[in-house]
Amino acid sequence: MKSNLWNILKKELRELFRDKKSLAMMLIIPIFIPLLVIGMSALFEAQVSKDVEEYNKIGFAYEMTDVEKNIAKEMNIEIINGNEEELKQQYDDGDIDLYITKDGNKYIINTDGSDTSTYSSSLMETYFNTYKQYLQQNYLQENNLNPDEVLNIITVEENMIEQDNYFANYIKNYAFLFIMMAITVSATYPATDTTAGERERGTLETLLTFPIKSKDIIIGKFLGVTISSIITGVISLVLAIISLIVTKNMFSIYEGIDTMFSPITIVFAVIVIIVYSFFISGLCISIASTSKTFKEAQSALTPLTFISFFPGMIAFMMGITTTPILSIIPFINFTLIFTDINNGTIDILNIVLMAVSTIIYISIVFAYIIKQYKSEKVLFTK
Amino acid sequence: MVEVNKLTKKFVRYKNKKEKEEFYADKEITFEAKEGEIIGILGPNGAGKTTLLRMIAGILEPTKGSISFDGLNYKDNEIEIKQKIAYLSGNTKLYDTLSTYELLKMCGGIYGMEDKNIEKRIQEISDILNMHKFLYNRIGTLSTGQTQRVNIARCLVHDPKYYILDEATTGLDIISSQIILDFMKQEKQKGKTILYSTHYMEEAENICDRVIMINNGEVIHAGTPKEIKEDTQTTNLRDAFFKMIGGVSIEE
Repeated sequence: MKSNLWNILKKELRELFRDKKSLAMMLIIPIFIPLLVIGMSALFEAQVSKDVEEYNKIGFAYEMTDVEKNIAKEMNIEIINGNEEELKQQYDDGDIDLYITKDGNKYIINTDGSDTSTYSSSLMETYFNTYKQYLQQNYLQENNLNPDEVLNIITVEENMIEQDNYFANYIKNYAFLFIMMAITVSATYPATDTTAGERERGTLETLLTFPIKSKDIIIGKFLGVTISSIITGVISLVLAIISLIVTKNMFSIYEGIDTMFSPITIVFAVIVIIVYSFFISGLCISIASTSKTFKEAQSALTPLTFISFFPGMIAFMMGITTTPILSIIPFINFTLIFTDINNGTIDILNIVLMAVSTIIYISIVFAYIIKQYKSEKVLFTK
Repeated sequence: MVEVNKLTKKFVRYKNKKEKEEFYADKEITFEAKEGEIIGILGPNGAGKTTLLRMIAGILEPTKGSISFDGLNYKDNEIEIKQKIAYLSGNTKLYDTLSTYELLKMCGGIYGMEDKNIEKRIQEISDILNMHKFLYNRIGTLSTGQTQRVNIARCLVHDPKYYILDEATTGLDIISSQIILDFMKQEKQKGKTILYSTHYMEEAENICDRVIMINNGEVIHAGTPKEIKEDTQTTNLRDAFFKMIGGVSIEE
């Protein structure tokens, strides 16, 4: 008798595409990707492009010269005068961003290292460098020396070979992490519905009376969930690409930076999405099929959403790079390989290792589930 | 012919988290069913009827004993046996998101029928069960009676040789249950074998050729309704059953 895999897959897809909750999971979850990309871009923009008026209230605990006042005016620094005690009080009250005290020729920047103070400190360092340069030029001129010859005894010029792609890469890598999370979230519902849900609804008993091999039942269900996960992944990727194009025009942090995925990145991203969809669908089905009820399956699958996200996030934070060993460790391998692809450092060996190890993991999981579906445990689990 | 030989099913149940006990749902049940026979499996709730029929339908694995259909056993010929049978229980549920037509087409495909034969068969069954009105409606939108007709249609698609009906009329209204009883009579006339469990003794008395009475997982009597009534010197199967178990007590 010919395989019933196609009949089961057709049934699974019909159920999947006609179930409102499954459709919602498949199609609505990707909508969060643009929101996250735009949100993160806005956050970076706010951090990088802070208006000077947000950190320019500087207290001076000494009498400033006219030159100092002019420099401060040109740098848009708002001068607040007072003695040290008064300025400290104003600083504690948040009325000024930092204050300067003076001991002879020594100027002290009083600050607490907060975000705003860091901006203010940087502003004041520029201010003092300008003032110092003015004093040095004056001193040299008074001693009949050419300031240009002394101050510019050597010159240093920065030649930017390639513009830093920090924000674009950061956003793209995180966008891919969100895509993985979206795939995981969208796989959990149909995996639960097709196993624990089918058992709870009583249709699994009907299915088991049919002349179908348990292998066909499981693989049909697995392929149904995988197809739904791939659809979510591809929609998420398309939305991520669109949102990166949109954010490039919306935010100044991307000026002169290429935020687009290159065609080769898109091709490999789709490959990683497909492999990950196979992996997560197999895992979700194996967990859900051993659960007694729909609710229990959902509870058991919830941690997967976090597990799919955190290893990749930690890898980014720690600057971990792909190695052949890491390429076979589930979850972390998908994000690291995508980062490589995004950075243009594609290593075919690592991609092959990721794909082969995933096939091995899925085969092991399947050998177990198929055995489960052969026995009565799957129907009458207690 | 269906041959059931010393069929036994043992389960383990937990009294509490640590303590567990084994019990027999069915113990050494033996009988055979010939072509064109309706065999009634009778007994109260918890007697072991459902477990017995689930083993015969290949959903549960027996602890001991054997089942054969036309000389084939489950161990070596599971798919072949399942192609010959149709299983319908009171709990059988259908896919709400599929239409009747889609379900029947899927079933035909699963049983290896060719597309043109499936189409022809669906039309025949729709005529028999008067399903044309709702053939393309989703099952989730049908009434209980219509759903039960779809369930019967699902069993008929591949023209099975054996029917296993587990309390198929339980909980149904008089019209829906009559649909099933009529269906059984029609199939019997075609020479099909039907194994039918129920706790409605009167229903079984009217329709079954032979009856197997089960209590606490063991056969307490078997024979034609007439033989059982004669053996127990009663006028109906209900009284015969109570006589065999020695009356009824509240503790039970």
